[in-house]
Amino acid sequence: MKDRLLPYWLLIPAFIIVLATTIYPLAYSFITSFRDWDLTESRRPGGFVGVENYAYAASESAFLNSLWVTTVFVVTSVILTVILAVALALLLRRTGPMHTFTRIILILPFAMSPALIGVSYRFMFNPEFGVLAQGLGAVFPALQGVPWLADPLLAMGILVLTDVWHWTPYMTFMCLGGLASIPRETEEAARIDGASNLRIIFGIILPQMRGVILVMAVLKTIFALKMFDQVVTLTGGGPGTSTETLAYFIFNVGFRWFDMGYASALAWILTAIMMFISIWYVRMLLSERKMATA
Amino acid sequence: MAEVRLVDIEKKYGSFLAVPKQSLTIHDGEFLVLLGPSGCGKTTTMRMIAGLEDITSGDIMIREERINDKPPKDRDIAMVFQNYGLYPHMTVRQNIEYPLKLRGIAKAARTKRVQETADKVELGALLDRRPSELSGGQRQRVALARAIVRTPSIFLMDEPLSNLDAKLRVTMRAELKHLHHELGVTTVYVTHDQMEAMTLATRVAVMREGRIVQLDTPKKIYAEPADLFVAGFIGSPSMNLIDGKVSDGVFRADGVNVPVDLPNRDGVVLGIRPEELEITDDATAPIGGQLYALELTGESTLVTLRNGPVSACARGHADFEAEINSPCYLTPKPGARFHLFDRASGERLDGVKH
Ligand SMILES: Nc1ncnc2c1ncn2[C@@H]1O[C@H](COP(=O)(O)OP(=O)(O)O)[C@@H](O)[C@H]1O
Ligand SMILES: [Mg+2]
Repeated sequence: MKDRLLPYWLLIPAFIIVLATTIYPLAYSFITSFRDWDLTESRRPGGFVGVENYAYAASESAFLNSLWVTTVFVVTSVILTVILAVALALLLRRTGPMHTFTRIILILPFAMSPALIGVSYRFMFNPEFGVLAQGLGAVFPALQGVPWLADPLLAMGILVLTDVWHWTPYMTFMCLGGLASIPRETEEAARIDGASNLRIIFGIILPQMRGVILVMAVLKTIFALKMFDQVVTLTGGGPGTSTETLAYFIFNVGFRWFDMGYASALAWILTAIMMFISIWYVRMLLSERKMATA
Repeated sequence: MAEVRLVDIEKKYGSFLAVPKQSLTIHDGEFLVLLGPSGCGKTTTMRMIAGLEDITSGDIMIREERINDKPPKDRDIAMVFQNYGLYPHMTVRQNIEYPLKLRGIAKAARTKRVQETADKVELGALLDRRPSELSGGQRQRVALARAIVRTPSIFLMDEPLSNLDAKLRVTMRAELKHLHHELGVTTVYVTHDQMEAMTLATRVAVMREGRIVQLDTPKKIYAEPADLFVAGFIGSPSMNLIDGKVSDGVFRADGVNVPVDLPNRDGVVLGIRPEELEITDDATAPIGGQLYALELTGESTLVTLRNGPVSACARGHADFEAEINSPCYLTPKPGARFHLFDRASGERLDGVKH
């Protein structure tokens, strides 16, 4: 009798830790999202206000702006990263000393902290002393003195650039793993059958990579939805609110304006978006798998 | 249809010599089998013919045309891979159709050819399935169909049956043989299974460490192996190989006395096939010892005797029975042939008719 219960007793510490560190904060923030809580006025949450926080979000232009900024950022960054990673993986999949060397140095950008990446790019694009700004100006005179981070479109472009630069190596490695699992014979059979290199890539290799590419896109989308670090260190959400992503906006609402109820509601909106996308991807993956093995 | 000639071809991977310099002519319409143990360079040789592997030196000629620098698709070959190499994202129909599509053949003609080919290999009912929905044998048929649909002048097959179970292998072997008879296309076939080689081949090239050690008809290779390696490799159960020496015109080993036509020498190996030996009570028989094992195979019993280091096996009658460890004698059947080899070099020392 005692022995049968023992495993459950042993599980209790782990259970308490998980409860305390994840379930409790999640539940707490969920409840907070239905309350009025201005941290400057009270250290305790105020009264329940129903869905007022959510309703406010739907009509607030700053929130809608951050939603739009996030969408633009996610779409461009995911598409660019995945395409670049696939292309690089195709170039690097052969083995040889050069390939191995390139693979090794390729991992470096991923080893850098995102906040640091933001700071470095901020310096590099400084119109007065930034090495990239100066270099581009030297090569293309038309680009001399362009205030890179002061232009809404360019600032977004550079934000995307930093993210693509950061994530492409990791995605390339994922892609290389996928490539390695494709039987070499399918490619050779196609070569004998008379397919050109391009046809082999698009007609034989990429179709067999659909599963891996989908997983890459899922991961990249979820990470891009949470984009925060480089916004803080590179653009500060500016110029204006042109690079104010959802995560950055939520941070401001919560920790600059101390509107905890509203920030919680926004955080749950972001969570809902991510959950929705994840579920959709998983369903795609499952049907993909069914297609591949059924 | 075409003749293929390999002229002084050689293949090195870095400093590793996979296929040493040698020549080989594959006659028009023949079924040539490259046979040898794993890692002996069979696949490498075939891939050089296909154009999937560069040749280090030498020439490959198809119909007297040098094709060293031609890409695989311009060599008029089709290849069947060991693990099929099917396109997993395409249906059976699309798989078979793909080579035709790439060659710009019109849709109507394609559909007709695919159907004909699929019927030929009994895939007609499975055209809309994907490879993952097929059994091993069916996948192998798709690979075959994809190879024959284009009516190339040379087939290259790299161990096409080795992923199938034993029973299916025998069935598919017969189908391959029939197909070759029907189409008459020059075929190069790689295998490590001597049974496959013997049953399928017009000629067999036995390879060892990249080198072709014997190139001949299956009959000739069975009856007159060029060296110790071929003697031991061909035949199942394999040839009895007994170490001994020759003195006064007799080959001698423990319990073995066989008159031979050789001068005195040490380090001689005597070979005789189990199916050419029979069991006898005659204590003066050339081979004698104690019964070591009896193995019933169904149609016959394999009888193994031992005498010191000597071990010999005979294919006896299925009803044969005796006590293990009892004395046992083996004598050659009429017309049987002893083979003699040099132990050190493995070279044939000349056979003697008994
Ligand atoms: N790409 C390669 N690089 C280096 N060595 C190789 C390569 N391919 C084959 N080899 C070597 O060449 C020899 C012959 O290989 P292979 O032709 O595949 O043998 P088989 O098909 O007879 O089993 C083997 O020793 C193998 O290790
Ligand atoms: Mg091989």
